[in-house]
Amino acid sequence: MNTIPWVILPFPCGSSFADRRGLRKDLLIALRVSGSPVIVDLSSCGTLAHEDIDLLLECVAQAAGREAKVLFVAGSRVNRVLLEVTRISSLVPVFNSVREALAYPQIAAENEVEVLRASQFQKPGSA
Amino acid sequence: MELGAVVVVPATEDLRLSHEAQTQAVAASENARPFYFPRMPILGNDVLRSWMKCIRKLGLQSLWLNSSRRDKNVDGSALAEFARQGVERLLVIQLKAYAEMDLADLLRFHCESRNPVTEAEDARGQLGVCLRDHLALQPKGEKDAFAGAPPQSGQAPYQFRGYAKRILSARERQELVGDGLTGACAMRPQGTEIRDQVWVGEGANVADSVRVIGPTYIGARTIVRPGATIGPFASVEHDCVVGCGTTVERSTVLPYSYLAPGLLIRHQLVDGGYLEDLSWGTIADLQPAGLGSRIQRRESRRQAVRETGVVSRAGGASTRDFVPSSSASQPWLRVQL
Repeated sequence: MNTIPWVILPFPCGSSFADRRGLRKDLLIALRVSGSPVIVDLSSCGTLAHEDIDLLLECVAQAAGREAKVLFVAGSRVNRVLLEVTRISSLVPVFNSVREALAYPQIAAENEVEVLRASQFQKPGSA
Repeated sequence: MELGAVVVVPATEDLRLSHEAQTQAVAASENARPFYFPRMPILGNDVLRSWMKCIRKLGLQSLWLNSSRRDKNVDGSALAEFARQGVERLLVIQLKAYAEMDLADLLRFHCESRNPVTEAEDARGQLGVCLRDHLALQPKGEKDAFAGAPPQSGQAPYQFRGYAKRILSARERQELVGDGLTGACAMRPQGTEIRDQVWVGEGANVADSVRVIGPTYIGARTIVRPGATIGPFASVEHDCVVGCGTTVERSTVLPYSYLAPGLLIRHQLVDGGYLEDLSWGTIADLQPAGLGSRIQRRESRRQAVRETGVVSRAGGASTRDFVPSSSASQPWLRVQL
């Protein structure tokens, strides 16, 4: 069972310029103050404009060097392709759906345990 | 026996239209994928020219060119004109595949089997190449379709076992690019091989800091800006611009495409401002995000038209005085071989 409190933020898309500006500010503040992992959900975006790409890159920059993880939910294959083309998917994990993204920490936790086990096994030999 | 030849070029249905169709929630099945204008160059080659070369080997001096919309065949009454004008056997090629076919062998098979119609096919189905005798040129009805019609029962198709790829599909185009670059087929890249498996077309401008990984093709007059990586298995066709730091890998960039800086184009096909992912078949519009666009160069386009070798419109000077039916909806062009 997933016990980590996730913050799911909808990506401001298709709104008016003023709304967009407000939502953009909210998103960046949430990313800055949130101690929990954040999922940025692009499901409501049909396609991505250049301001959207800029904002996503800003989100990546906000998350860089912080403890809290940031994940993107592409919501559609078109968005996923655009995230790959812009290399954003090589900076931040991208998932197809929120459900898929929520399963992510379990996998990460399992991997961490595996890495820990492997390093413990290697210690006597490497000493 | 009087032999004639017709090449049917499926008309273009560009990625823009396909993208619009996709956004209207059309199922993203294989059938919903776009198909590419068959005369879009592949490693600088025009597939029509390769078929023209094959037809010339049969001893023909000219052929007729016709265009049709997707999934539509040539107007039957127009083709019946050939029979009326004395053509006893007609070779009909739908320009949907690149095939290294010996048409003389197809003709021999057709004569030996004594069928009125012989369709060429490979393991994946019809290749869009068929031979029709005089009787099979007579339409049964006004909407009788000739090219691409399934063979009637009892008519053995010509089994082609040589190299063939369907060029209307992005994936098979990319396979053809890979085979052309590695010498797995007879198609050779049009340019100078500057080093092992790296071809560059005339007037291409590749910055010194560009990393070119063979096998790769960079078409004529294409500009590749500093820090870009091209290849392996990449084909950037003529008159394109690849921005600084962009990587093009296992992909095709069709003519007159601009790619913004810093992109990763991997296993994709770029056509102007649109991109098709070859794995998923997803079409993405690059333009709203400013990631890509179509370059308009009128002079280059005029040059491309001049290079087609089209000599006259139907109804003009013709070696056989053949004039297709005036009711024909599609334009007919006579091409000298």
